[in-house]
Amino acid sequence: MAKTILIVEDEFLIAMDLEMILRRHGWLILGPVATVVEALRLLQADQPSVAILDVTLKDGVVSPVAEALQDLDVPFIVSSAYRQPEAIGGEVLAGATNVGKPVDEYRLLAALEDVARP
Amino acid sequence: MNLVDLYRLMRNAHIQAQSIVDTIPEPLLVLDDSLRVEAVSRSFYDTFQVSEEETVGRPIYELGNGQWDIPDLRHLLEEVAARSTAVVDFEVDHDFPTIGRRTMLISAHRLFQPDRSSRSMLVSIVDASKSRQREAESELLVGELRHRIKNLLAMIQALAQQTMTEGRSAEQYRDDFLGRFRSLAAAQDLAFGGEGETGLRSLVEQTIQPFAGKGKVVVEPGPAVELARTQIVPLSLILHELATNALKYGALSAPEGRVQIGWRMERDSAPRLRVHWQEHDGPPVTPPATTGFGTRLIEFAVSRELGGRVELDYLPSGLTVEILLPIP
Repeated sequence: MAKTILIVEDEFLIAMDLEMILRRHGWLILGPVATVVEALRLLQADQPSVAILDVTLKDGVVSPVAEALQDLDVPFIVSSAYRQPEAIGGEVLAGATNVGKPVDEYRLLAALEDVARP
Repeated sequence: MNLVDLYRLMRNAHIQAQSIVDTIPEPLLVLDDSLRVEAVSRSFYDTFQVSEEETVGRPIYELGNGQWDIPDLRHLLEEVAARSTAVVDFEVDHDFPTIGRRTMLISAHRLFQPDRSSRSMLVSIVDASKSRQREAESELLVGELRHRIKNLLAMIQALAQQTMTEGRSAEQYRDDFLGRFRSLAAAQDLAFGGEGETGLRSLVEQTIQPFAGKGKVVVEPGPAVELARTQIVPLSLILHELATNALKYGALSAPEGRVQIGWRMERDSAPRLRVHWQEHDGPPVTPPATTGFGTRLIEFAVSRELGGRVELDYLPSGLTVEILLPIP
């Protein structure tokens, strides 16, 4: 069964890029969404296997999404230009892998491999 | 010289010295070896809003209801008093009852007096609160700038990654990529150039300018529309994609071909902007077999980034595009 990834990214060119890379590697895509509100709405209907989060979104920091994912037991990684995403988004992001920005495809795929449950 | 003259001389010298000291904006204190205040400069009174009576002759830790009883400071002064050391710019963060939270840089030096072995010390206090705040602000600014630069790099990487390579020569790929790169750079300049608001007309004219030779692209008159900063980059890239597509396959590839661009405001429930792009007299039109990056970008940018709708009609007479956008 193919795995589903939720993409939360507010820069549309980057979101398109992530979508293309991940689709090419066999992921089913949930999103991409650019706001906390949209992400939470998607999570009410679907449960992805994993998520990739940008930190600052159009309607605020991503933390409520990270908390919702934690509650659902869905692992996530962060792709942020901030060196310390937890300084912006709070403790909920502290343990997550930050693959950085611009993201390296291999690093991204390896990080997802790492957190996705078998 | 008699005693009265000597007294006058010394008094004048003292007054002069005192007035020199009083011009120094940083508060100064002279403490004796038991850390009692011997003298202070005028700016000490002004800065900490205290009077001479409640200051001179009292131990520094008792001043202003003990507001100077700061453990770090006590440690520092006792160190200087005990040995012949000096301390320079020791930082003390303290909440002063009268003036609030401040960052003070405190320096203390033993006074050199050849006639007696004085253990007095001169303490100077520099209020660094404002400069510390400025430093913190500029650090924040630099952080934001770094963030924006990385984001921009990620956007450029996204363009490079998604520009089609299949069936394209290296040269063609380079031109496609650089065209997108330049349109992104120009859009960034419009969005963050800081030259006031950007109207739709100037955005359209700037974006199609490289394609607009010999009157082949006509921008119809339309109402003035001010764009939000977040609309500038997606709209520029959309128009750039339409224009390059027209140049490669559409109306701009034919000698007689033309493009018309226009817009109008529509008010049903909320105000909406309708932009149309109409190609004429180009080569025969057939819908593309696969969805390229250009089409994906247009659809993604309109629907997800701008919250609108787009229709691309490959009419035999020429490509027609209708974009409907909410206006905030």
